[in-house]
Amino acid sequence: MEFKQKILNNGLNIIGELNDSAKSAAVGFFVKTGSRDESMQINGVSHFLEHMLFKGTEKLSAFEVSAAFDRTGAQFNAFTSEEITAFYAAALPEYISQITSIWIELMRPALRNEDFDIEKNVIKEEIAMYQDMPDFEAAEKCRTLYFDSHPCGQSILGSAENIDNLTADQMRSYFNSRYVPNNMLLVTVGNFNWRQICSLAEQSCSGWRQIPAGRNSDDYAGSCKTGRIEKPNIAREHICLMSHAVSAQDDRRFAAFLLATIIGDSTGSRLFWEIVDKALAEEAVVRLGAMDGTGVFQTYIQCSPQNADKAMDTVSRIFSDVAKNGITEDELAKAKNKILSALVIKNEIPMGRLFDVGLNWLYLNQYRSVADDLDAIKSVTIDQVCQIARELKITDYTRFSIGPSQKS
Amino acid sequence: MPENFDKHTLKNGMVLLGEQMKGVESVAFDFMVPSGAAMLPEGVCGAANVIEDWLFRGAGEKNNRTLGDALDGLGLHRSSSVGSSHITIGSTLESSSLHQAIDLYADIILRPQLTDDQFKPARQLVIDEITALDDDPKQKVMLKLRELFYPQPLGRSTAGDIEQLRNLTPQKTRQLVSEHFNPAQTIFAVAGKYEFDKIVSQIERLFETGTKRSAQKIRTEPVAGNYTHIHNEGAQVHIGLMTPTVGPADEDYYNARVAISILAGGMSARLFTEVREKRGLCYAICARYHCMRGYAGIMSYAGTTPEKAQDTIDIIIAEFSRLSDGITADEIDRAKAGLKSALILQSESSSARASGTGSDYFFLGRIRSLDEIKEKIEKTNADFVISFLKKNPFKQYSIVSIGPKEINPPSAQQTRVN
Repeated sequence: MEFKQKILNNGLNIIGELNDSAKSAAVGFFVKTGSRDESMQINGVSHFLEHMLFKGTEKLSAFEVSAAFDRTGAQFNAFTSEEITAFYAAALPEYISQITSIWIELMRPALRNEDFDIEKNVIKEEIAMYQDMPDFEAAEKCRTLYFDSHPCGQSILGSAENIDNLTADQMRSYFNSRYVPNNMLLVTVGNFNWRQICSLAEQSCSGWRQIPAGRNSDDYAGSCKTGRIEKPNIAREHICLMSHAVSAQDDRRFAAFLLATIIGDSTGSRLFWEIVDKALAEEAVVRLGAMDGTGVFQTYIQCSPQNADKAMDTVSRIFSDVAKNGITEDELAKAKNKILSALVIKNEIPMGRLFDVGLNWLYLNQYRSVADDLDAIKSVTIDQVCQIARELKITDYTRFSIGPSQKS
Repeated sequence: MPENFDKHTLKNGMVLLGEQMKGVESVAFDFMVPSGAAMLPEGVCGAANVIEDWLFRGAGEKNNRTLGDALDGLGLHRSSSVGSSHITIGSTLESSSLHQAIDLYADIILRPQLTDDQFKPARQLVIDEITALDDDPKQKVMLKLRELFYPQPLGRSTAGDIEQLRNLTPQKTRQLVSEHFNPAQTIFAVAGKYEFDKIVSQIERLFETGTKRSAQKIRTEPVAGNYTHIHNEGAQVHIGLMTPTVGPADEDYYNARVAISILAGGMSARLFTEVREKRGLCYAICARYHCMRGYAGIMSYAGTTPEKAQDTIDIIIAEFSRLSDGITADEIDRAKAGLKSALILQSESSSARASGTGSDYFFLGRIRSLDEIKEKIEKTNADFVISFLKKNPFKQYSIVSIGPKEINPPSAQQTRVN
């Protein structure tokens, strides 16, 4: 593995991790923009833009873009989060330059009015799809409740009403302020030609104009509020909890990751043994969401409405116990083994590696090899995990649930 | 046998398959035990799911907790599933722990404790998972579609039936395990970094019973109907549609795969272009190949708001029908490129390869090398695909919808579930 890096004069970062023995490569653009960078009025615009980039450029129609990708056999997609919009593709090495060229072109899209109007329908269908996924809806509403007026609480998709009211001009002006080279990153990993990627970017991206693009990255410790909605067509209780954790820049993130695994991994964790194994709930998991400047522990429980109180009592007892008494050496050793093997497995595939390399650069401005991350996990001590458990007050959570009507 | 593949057959008939992968530290393995939903008798629908959970609640000398700790201690990532033909249990892990993991899995498969007190939570979780499907209409519609499309018992629910589960006892379930956990018909597949000789001698020691037991035969019955609607006051109508096609051993198999790819392989494929891009009817729309022994189909999903549901299903069916009218050279090239590239990308993942070799063997009785598949994809062309489509026109559709509004399927025969 060899790391490569270049910055163009306009601030565009180009990074790569070469692995000559890989059978494929992955390439993508990571743009540091998401729902937290939107004003309330244009909420949903980052995600809308992600869709619009595939609608083509002045030269290419949407169909020509799709056909150009499909001709290479690439597996490609994009996603939008609270803070990142990522466009990525994996393909055979011989196609990577061609795919990089397509991505570069798409980063300067036409954003046509007629495409915008038809895509509104698709976005509203996507919003409707998530309304039929109560686990997703509980998580999103919990996030909004947790972050209160902090911008990280804004919906990624936006509401159907907001999408109806959004104008193409608002979208274009948001695009102009966020898709600037100094706020973007071009990442390539696996088996590819570094010089070719650089020269493509130099030729085609050097003219992109640099404009300062900041963001409010204040930390926020959560509102501790509680909310619930009822839906007549729902069978289970979907409970989401959020409490304060560490940011993606915090050195304690590895200890926090281990803590989340010990408390709430899908197998072998405390929640697993006390809740799922005993069939109090079919799902009870905790994960760490380390973000730009802030972070959350997110817990999700899915159970029968009758078991909801009992399951929640158990969760609270486990959280308090961990905060008060810490964890055991044995728990730490098992969690380390699980995380270490997961890291190895994930990073064997260029598409898996792309995200770790890209996100580390975006958050830390730093290259971290797989070995760096493995070492960081191995070197976490029991005292560090216990300290995190004590200091972060996982017991002070915001709670939002969705479930069927409660009989009085 | 292709050069990076391994195969060994025990005296009792159990087959061990392997695929060596260069440059990886991981290894993945699957035990495919012939006790899936369709292999069990009438009246115990869901028992396979209970067994799959119950097996892990103590085996050999280890109880529920110490077994779970031992598996976690190896850092392995478990995967298990219940299909129509098999219960598949396996994991992905760092190769240094492979042999310890196989020892644990031998206990789980051959010496599960299956205690009465662990039966209740295992069964409860399966019942809860079935109830929870009501909150996941996207998944539920595809499960119901399989039930409708395949003849019984192949179409039997792989999630389970709550009434039948309530009547299931530990005694009955233990009996099912002893009757159906037949090592002779179990397939073991491994992919990644491993030494095959060591695996063979370990599995021989653990699984060689000496007694051959033949595979169980199942008789299939005709399918029940072609449209089911399940009412749900959700935001969307979730539509699943399936139509018969050729099986993996058929000479037209690769023509069928290319045809599906033209319909739904990428973002320039027809369904995505016509349904989503041109008309904005859906966000999620896809189609893929699905098969069981003796039966195969093309399975499509679309989710859309009620007022657009009829247009969506009409256009999907129109696109299926239109396919045999003509295919452009560029479409063929894109479809082939997508299929070939998916093959190579998948070949980098040890878990994908382990399940790929296992199912290849089950359906074909042999493993196909990547080169063979590539070559067969290369050989197809527009004329072959068109002539295949003319020979096998899409006539019959099984359709399931879940949502606030029914749709009009292409023909009248239907059943309704409330």
